[in-house]
Amino acid sequence: MMSEIVVQAEGLCKKYKIATARYRHDTLRDLLTDSLKSAFRRNGNRHQSKDDFWALKDVSFELERGEAVGIIGRNGAGKSTLLRILSRITLPTEGYASIKGRVGSLLEVGAGFHQELTGRENIYLNGAILGMTKQEIDRKFDAIVDFSEIGRFIDTPVKRYSSGMYVRLAFSVAAHLDPEIMMIDEVLSVGDMNFQQKCMEHTKKLLNGDATILFVSHNMFAIKAMCSRVIYLNEGSVRYDGPSEETISIYESESRLDSLDWGEKIVGSKLAEWSIYATDIQVLDEQGKPRTVFDFGERMRIRVKFETRRPIVKPNFIIGVDRSDNVECCSYSSFVDGFHISRLDGEGVLEMVTPPLKLVAEAYDIVIVVRDESFQKLYCAQRGARFHLRHELFNTHFGVFHESADWHLSTIP
Amino acid sequence: MTSTSIFTTPFVEIKPSRGVFQLDLRAVWQYRELLYFLVWRDLKVRYKQAAIGIGWVILQPLVTMLIFTAVFAKFAKVPSDGIPYPIFAYTALLPWTYFAQALSRSGPSVVGDSGLISKIYFPRLIIPLAAVITPAVDVVFSSVILLAMMVWFGMVPTWGVLALPLFLLLAPMTALAVALWLAPLHVRYRDVGHALPFLIQIWMYASPVAYPVSLVPERWRVLYSLNPMAGVIEGFRWALLGKASPDFMLMSVSAAFVLLLLLGGIVFFKHMEKTFADVI
Repeated sequence: MMSEIVVQAEGLCKKYKIATARYRHDTLRDLLTDSLKSAFRRNGNRHQSKDDFWALKDVSFELERGEAVGIIGRNGAGKSTLLRILSRITLPTEGYASIKGRVGSLLEVGAGFHQELTGRENIYLNGAILGMTKQEIDRKFDAIVDFSEIGRFIDTPVKRYSSGMYVRLAFSVAAHLDPEIMMIDEVLSVGDMNFQQKCMEHTKKLLNGDATILFVSHNMFAIKAMCSRVIYLNEGSVRYDGPSEETISIYESESRLDSLDWGEKIVGSKLAEWSIYATDIQVLDEQGKPRTVFDFGERMRIRVKFETRRPIVKPNFIIGVDRSDNVECCSYSSFVDGFHISRLDGEGVLEMVTPPLKLVAEAYDIVIVVRDESFQKLYCAQRGARFHLRHELFNTHFGVFHESADWHLSTIP
Repeated sequence: MTSTSIFTTPFVEIKPSRGVFQLDLRAVWQYRELLYFLVWRDLKVRYKQAAIGIGWVILQPLVTMLIFTAVFAKFAKVPSDGIPYPIFAYTALLPWTYFAQALSRSGPSVVGDSGLISKIYFPRLIIPLAAVITPAVDVVFSSVILLAMMVWFGMVPTWGVLALPLFLLLAPMTALAVALWLAPLHVRYRDVGHALPFLIQIWMYASPVAYPVSLVPERWRVLYSLNPMAGVIEGFRWALLGKASPDFMLMSVSAAFVLLLLLGGIVFFKHMEKTFADVI
C-alpha cells in the first residue's frame, strides 16, 4: 500500500510565560500592583526573556497512515504540550502542523463527565464532547456499555461509581470514537490490569483498521508493545526519532542518574550543589559481572559510586526498586539493616547484595536516596540503572512480588 | 468506518493565529449537537435532587412579583401606567429573570468548564452560547403564569404581539453580547466573578422592571434607552398589555448597540480563546 502522510509537524514551538504562571494576575489588584512595580523598576524589560519558557522547540516529524508512534521523555520534556497542540487545545507559538483525518484525542479519561448524571447520560454527553453525533452514539451505545463492564449500574449517577468503573466507562466511550488518528496521553495507565490489557487490545484493533496512533507514556513496556517507532523529546526538542528499541535504549541510558522530581523540590535541581551524589550506579550479578536481566529468585549486587561535596555525618543510604510504571516496590536502608557509617567525605564506592529477588517479571529502576538516620534530612535522590526480572508465570497479575506459602488441607468426609 | 469519514476526510491546519477576523463560525454549526447536549446537561443537572424541580422556575418570578407588588405598589405607591401592578411587574420579570439567569450563567461559563477547555478541542463559543440558551427553556414555563394572569386581569394583546419574537430574541442576544466580553475577562481576572452579581443587581435598577419608564426624567431618556433591557421590557409591555407604543427610534438605537456589542464580543472572544487553555 502506498504510504500516506496523515500528520505533519513542522518547526512547532510553544512559548509559555513563566511570569503569568507564577503571578497569574488572578485579581485585578495583582495586575495593577504588578504593572506599577514594573513601571518603577528600571531595566524592567531586561528580564523579560528570562520569564519565557519554551516548552517546545522546533519539533518536526511526519506520521504515516497506520503507524503507531510513541512519545517518551522526562516530565516537562514537552510531550503533553505537543499532544495539546496537535489536538487543537492550544495553538503553537511558531511552526505549522497539518492533520488529515478524524482525530480522537484522549488526554484525560472522562473529561466532561458530570458527576450528577448517570452512566447512560454521560455516554451521550461525553460522546458529543469527543465529537460523535447522537446517531453514532445511539448505534454504538450497546457496544460501549458492553466494553465498559458497567452492566446494571448504567442508570446510576457516576458520582456513586468506584474510580475503576468511572475510568472504564470513560475509556469505553473514547475507544468507540473510531478515529483515524488517535492521540493518547498516559490514560492507559489507569484502571486495573485486565482492563488495561483490554484497552491495549482495542488500540491494536484500531491499528489494524488502519488508524494512526500517537501515544505518550512513561511505561516503556506499553510503548514497546504498541509502537514500532518512538520519538524521544528532551527539553522541548526531538532528541531522537527511530525504531522503538533503539530510541528507548537511548532514553534509558540518558535518564540514568537523573535527579528525582520529588527530591529536586527539597535539595534543588542542580546535582552539583548537592552534598552527595551518585556518579555511577551499576547492576551486577552476585559474582560482580554486569547484567541487566535477572531470573526470579536471584540475588543482585548493586554498586554505587558517589562523590561528597560536604562531609555528611551518619548518612543513611536507601536503595529502592521502582517498577517501570512508577510503583515503589521495595527499598533497603543501610541504617535499618544495622550498617552504620559515622561520617562520609570525598569519593567512594558502596556495594550491597540484595536478598533473593521475589518481584514479578517486569522492568525496574534502581533508586538511590541518601538521608540521615532519622529519615528526616534529604541529601540526594537519583534514579539509577534499569534491570529486568524474568519469570514465565509471575507477572503483575500476581501482584508486586511472589513468595510461596505453606499449605494445609483438611476435609470432612 | 463511519459513513461521515468516508465522504469528508477532515483536514486541519494548525498554526499560530495572526488574523483578528478568523471567526470560523462554521465550526460552531458543525458542533451544534454538542450545543444541544450541553444545554441538555445543564437542564438535567439543575433539577436533579431538587424536590420541587421545575417549580423553581415558576416560583422565582412569582414570588418576586408578589414582593414587588407589596413594596412598590402598596408601600411606595409607584405608578404602573394604568395597568394592574402585579401583571405590570410580571410582564417585566419574565424577560428580566431570564436575562439575569442567562448572564449569571454565561459570564463564568468558560471558567466553569475549564476541565473541558484544557483537555478537549471544540469551538469555545459553544460554552457561553449554551449558557444563554439553557434558561430560555424556563421562559416557556413561567409564561404559563403570565397567560393565566392575562386572562385573570382581562388583558387583550394588541397587534404588537407579532413583534414579540423580536423582543424575545433581543434578550438572549444582549446576554450573549455581554457574556462574550465578560467570560474571557473572567478567565484572566476572577474579579469578574465577584462583580457579576453586583452588575446584574445594578442593571435591574437601571431597567424598568419595578417602575414605568415614564418615571425617568425626559433628559435622561436617551441615555436610559441605551440599556437594551429597557427596550425589551417596554416591548413586552407594549406587545402583551397594549400599553402605549414605545419609542421605536430609541429601540432601534439600543438594538443597533446590542448588535455592535455582539459582533465586537465575538471578535474579542475569538481573540482571547487562543490562550484559554494556557491561562485557565
